[in-house]
Amino acid sequence: MSHAWRPVFVVLAVVAAIVVMRVILVPSDFTAKDGDYKYQWHRLSAEQVSKDFTVKHRGRDFCGQCHPNHIEKMKDSGHQNIQCENCHVMYEPAKKSHPINLKEDFGYLLNIGIDRSRELCKRCHAELSYRPKTYTSSKGTEKFKQIDPTKHNPGIECAMCHDVHSAGFKTAAK
Amino acid sequence: MSLSRRELLKMGLLAVCGTVIPLSALEILKPEAAASLIRPYSEHKRWAFVVDTTKCVGCGMCVKACKLENEIPFNIDVQRTWVERYVQLKNGDVLIDSPHGARNGYIKNDPQGKEINEAEVAKGIFVPKLCNQCEKPSCVQVCPVGATYKTSDGVVLVDKGWCIGCGYCINNCPYLARFFSPVTNTADKCTFCYHRITKGLNTACMDACAFGARKIGMLNDPNSEVAKIISTERVSVLKPEYGNEPQVFYIGLDAIVR
Amino acid sequence: MEEHLAHGALWTIKEGFTYPNEYIYWTIHIVVYPYITGLVAGAFVLSSMYHVFGKEELKPVAKFSLVFSFALLLMATSPLMLHLTQVFNSINMILTPHFYSAIAAFTVVYLTYMAIVLAEIWFVFRPYIVEQAKEKKGLLGLLYNAMTLGSFDVSEKALQTDHKIIKILAAVGIPAAAFLHGYVGFIFGSVKTVPLWKTPLMPFIFLMSAIISGVSGCIVTYIVGMSLKRNFICGASIRSMCKVLVWFLVAAIVLEGIDIIFHAYTAEEFWSIMSELLFQRFAFKMLVVQWLIGMILPLILLLLPRLSMLRAFISATLVLIGVFTMRWDVVIGGQSMSKSLAGFLTYDMPIIPHNMESFLEGPIPITVLLIMPLVLLFIFNKVLPVFTEVFNEEDCGFTEGLLSGKDHAKH
Ligand code: HEC
Ligand code: HEC
Ligand code: HEC
Ligand code: HEC
Repeated sequence: MSHAWRPVFVVLAVVAAIVVMRVILVPSDFTAKDGDYKYQWHRLSAEQVSKDFTVKHRGRDFCGQCHPNHIEKMKDSGHQNIQCENCHVMYEPAKKSHPINLKEDFGYLLNIGIDRSRELCKRCHAELSYRPKTYTSSKGTEKFKQIDPTKHNPGIECAMCHDVHSAGFKTAAK
Repeated sequence: MSLSRRELLKMGLLAVCGTVIPLSALEILKPEAAASLIRPYSEHKRWAFVVDTTKCVGCGMCVKACKLENEIPFNIDVQRTWVERYVQLKNGDVLIDSPHGARNGYIKNDPQGKEINEAEVAKGIFVPKLCNQCEKPSCVQVCPVGATYKTSDGVVLVDKGWCIGCGYCINNCPYLARFFSPVTNTADKCTFCYHRITKGLNTACMDACAFGARKIGMLNDPNSEVAKIISTERVSVLKPEYGNEPQVFYIGLDAIVR
Repeated sequence: MEEHLAHGALWTIKEGFTYPNEYIYWTIHIVVYPYITGLVAGAFVLSSMYHVFGKEELKPVAKFSLVFSFALLLMATSPLMLHLTQVFNSINMILTPHFYSAIAAFTVVYLTYMAIVLAEIWFVFRPYIVEQAKEKKGLLGLLYNAMTLGSFDVSEKALQTDHKIIKILAAVGIPAAAFLHGYVGFIFGSVKTVPLWKTPLMPFIFLMSAIISGVSGCIVTYIVGMSLKRNFICGASIRSMCKVLVWFLVAAIVLEGIDIIFHAYTAEEFWSIMSELLFQRFAFKMLVVQWLIGMILPLILLLLPRLSMLRAFISATLVLIGVFTMRWDVVIGGQSMSKSLAGFLTYDMPIIPHNMESFLEGPIPITVLLIMPLVLLFIFNKVLPVFTEVFNEEDCGFTEGLLSGKDHAKH
């Protein structure tokens, strides 16, 4: 046979090597699911990985196991729709102050603490002309009350005067 | 000594075919693959989302919850969901911003860092954004290795162990819903909280929203609120011109929204 | 603790309204990648001009440009490797290619082209390899022996077969090279979210600029290489290459011009931001460097009568600079326009490295990368006679006579 075929053999060897490598290395569950090669070409086991990701926010019911009075307090207040976690989850682990280790006992991974800053309340209550002025609660559509933070008792934490959970005022007794 | 044009053409054609056929033949010639081109749109149940911009107050609680839920480092400026603010002034100027994706909420009338007098504002709107989980996701189409895909129930996910990090999907998403995860250094995106919705929970952003601006549900499921809203109310989608068939439906969008 | 940033935040400056996740994700590596593949394609086309179309005057550069093309080809994947954030997964491109993606076929196109170029090099240098394999001892002898692929047949008949095959490979290689680079253009042209890229002309624009950069690369390297070795530089070859350069320069100008005129005329939604890019932010890079200095000036220099070696050299250098700027303008410019069409992202390359990411994204790896093909060429020249079979004055005069003879015959 002519010498001219030799490069062809080299090419064939490379192709064979690639095919063998594919057979060995491609995961067996890598397919086009539902026959959809365009959008569903993937490792099937990867779907399970996405499903198995841990749930972190567990909602009111979880906190309610030990803080039933807070739930009760909030039930009919203006803050009834706000999750405890909205205000109480700290993104800086250092600010964590929950006396009970929820991670060990319940596998709860978020850091619970207290944020008394005005910034927290301003996220919703700072008055902006284009901020929706109504709000839907269990009682139907209500006025959503906003304050101008530069005029409404500046410099003092909102929680000094307001009872956050009942969205009302703190009684003088406290 | 030169070749005739005809010969050249023949060789050229051969070469082109020769380049394309060999490896692709292994996968692309399956009949199912071709059939997937003509599948009609969404006969099956699939996840969809409704955002009511008229209810959004721009508190950014959804962004915070999303970042913590999905372990996207809080102080790094990438996010799976974010809230944009559009402010139109009385002189016609439109100011748009989304500082840090609004993870700390909007607490001042300072679009793009400029303090604006309330009196100058003509209108404003908050627009929460997230991955549109398109029916025809261009990001999935362009992934060279099959590291991102659409599930049978319509959610687009990333296989982080398989991603090569080329960024092609990121550049092909019209909504900029994708980014490089600072944790895994691979492409990352909103999953509609796939780990939650498949367990019967709502998405973290929906639970965090005290104003009911976000809703998730199944399309083509008569019991789902989302399906009801989409089929009875006036909804629109973002950037339909790209042909991705986005599945996040908006109530109360405005011409200034991008 | 080290300050953490999102991938892209280090070198992106945002202005106006840009989406929160929007950064310049494709950086300097993706600028260099089409530049190198462009040089590959251009150099190969040049060598085929001799092998296929029998342009005798290109003989002294035919071998050299073929090997140069190969040296560049070897480096063509490295910017991509630097770009990937998960380099070790890059094997997945071969394992589970998804051919709906424009870049999935890269391995196939690349390897096919590599096979053609390697085969052609083998056939071209076979007589020399066989000779060396018989002569040399030791490590070098082993290398040459391996390079023969076990065939020592250099009979008259065998060489004639070689000759035929070279011609076929060179002919097949032209569409393959065109495909390799047109395909790179397609990768960009098919990104529907970037208005500057999304045009069906993109593959052809890239192809034309590839050929002009490749030919210019060969002109410059040939002149420099010959001067360094104090060899005679054949004016006929240079002039012939310049002729090719002129034709493709015209084609490039026309295509790129049409593209801009079309955008300006149809003035779609994105034109306002695109015109700001073209005429303000990238005005110097695009209009001055890419257009005036990179295309129009060299064209004028080449068209002026009595072309001198120096003028050819300068023009070719300008074209090389111009094409690099064009790659920059396309890749970076395209991403500079926010997809919100209401803001800009400015690319600020991290010059001084302070961690791994800023090192990889900085100028050092990319400079090394751009010099590597020349180093490889130098090494190849040690093994194969890339530059030796050049014309002496006599040969050159002969082809020059041939050329003018042809010209006379035409009149
Ligand atoms: C296992 C029961 C348990 C669960 C579940 C629980 N807590 Fe507590 N929590 C406690 C106890 C006990 C205290 C300390 C007594 C007190 O101050 O009432 C406390 C204190 C707190 C405090 C005050 C911390 C401080 O710094 O003084 C906050 C805020 C709090 N919990 C929030 C939450 C939130 C939000 C959740 C839901 C995610 C939650 N807790 C779930 C038991 C629990
Ligand atoms: C609107 C934000 C907000 C929400 C929603 C909220 N909290 Fe609080 N919470 C606060 C603030 C602010 C304080 C600190 C109050 C103070 O210093 O007087 C606090 C304090 C507490 C404390 C410490 C003891 C106390 O009563 O002062 C507990 C326990 C607590 N919250 C539990 C809950 C639980 C359980 C929920 C959900 C049902 C909840 N919180 C929802 C803002 C909130
Ligand atoms: C997630 C948004 C949100 C946050 C954060 C929030 N609130 Fe509210 N707040 C509401 C809503 C909704 C209402 C009910 C509508 C209304 O009454 O204005 C309300 C009602 C109130 C009311 C009752 C007003 C009235 O006269 O009826 C007070 C007081 C109040 N909030 C104080 C606070 C304080 C103090 C904080 C900070 C710890 C805070 N809120 C944080 C959403 C929020
Ligand atoms: C010094 C005590 C004090 C502080 C601090 C304070 N408030 Fe008040 N707040 C009041 C009183 C008193 C009223 C009822 C009178 C009024 O409407 O101004 C009130 C009313 C409100 C209302 C209802 C307004 C309406 O239109 O009915 C809201 C909402 C409110 N406060 C939110 C806040 C928020 C948010 C903060 C923190 C940024 C805050 N407050 C800090 C004393 C306080």
